[in-house]
Amino acid sequence: MTVGSQVKQCLASLKSIAANLNTLALKTEDEEARLAFHETCLKTRKIVQQIELRVGELEFEEPQYKGF
Amino acid sequence: MVIPGWFEIVIRSVIAFLILLITPKLFRKTAIAHYSYFEASAMLIIGVILAIGSFQLSVPVGYAIIALLTWTSIVAMVNFLALKSVSFRNFIHGKGIPVIKDGKVLEDNLKKERYTTDDLLKLLRTKNVFKAADVEFAVLESNGDVSVLLKKENQPLTAKDMLVPVAPIKEPQTVIMDGKVMDEALATVGFNRGWLEGELEKQGIAIENVFLGQVDSYGELTVDLFDDKIQVPPPKEKPLLLASIKKAQADLEIFSLQTDNQQAKTLFTHCASEMTEVLARVEKYLR
Repeated sequence: MTVGSQVKQCLASLKSIAANLNTLALKTEDEEARLAFHETCLKTRKIVQQIELRVGELEFEEPQYKGF
Repeated sequence: MVIPGWFEIVIRSVIAFLILLITPKLFRKTAIAHYSYFEASAMLIIGVILAIGSFQLSVPVGYAIIALLTWTSIVAMVNFLALKSVSFRNFIHGKGIPVIKDGKVLEDNLKKERYTTDDLLKLLRTKNVFKAADVEFAVLESNGDVSVLLKKENQPLTAKDMLVPVAPIKEPQTVIMDGKVMDEALATVGFNRGWLEGELEKQGIAIENVFLGQVDSYGELTVDLFDDKIQVPPPKEKPLLLASIKKAQADLEIFSLQTDNQQAKTLFTHCASEMTEVLARVEKYLR
């Protein structure tokens, strides 16, 4: 597995984490827990954006592995 | 017209029964065993008046009613005064008396209440205390019960003692009973039938087969089925999420070590530390 595909896999799991946290934030009743889920969801989304940029760079460096 | 005796008894009994339905309102809402001496006696007296009034035909109805009214008003007045005045309350309902203080048995108080050492040990045993030395403080309540405060080292270990962060919980709602959806409870937790059907489908269960279904404050559905041979897998959503957060964090750290590109290194290191924060923040809720 190339580094590119590893990073892409990590990106996918990060996206899934963000989505799961978002669902939990929506269905949790407790205010404190809801806030924690919400904030961590936003944080994870930010990480996703940064990793996406890096994936773009990697694809530029290794064009043969472009695309999922 | 003369009413036959048996018919009068029927009428009186029915009336007595109706009065009996109202009288509990006069008393505090506790188990009979928790009533104080005064309350228990007053209740007995009212019961006896009603009983005698219902079949003792030689007692005029008026007398029975007057006795009843007097007693009920005494009870009502005493209860009212007891609400208002502490000293009166202590006089009527009695007051808890310490029998063990600072880990030492107070023999004088025991004697005053006419309790023997055996009685005390028996009461302590009902509280699962077999060693008097384990007790820091114990009160003999007015109803004969004993309340025990164990020494700190003998108390059960709590999350607070261990400094373990725990997720707050609210009361779960019962959303399925005997295979029927409880719409009101479902609305209380903010879900609808569509969500419930989806959750059940995820677990591969038909709603008719669900005996009991509860939703906790994190939106997790747990079910008990009519068919006890079917194994319901425990909900895995939250532990899975926790595991994937841990994995993503580790992956990011590995990338930061693997790459030679300085810019990428700082990016991955930053992301990894952010992910650590995420993990620390939600770990207690997901465990």
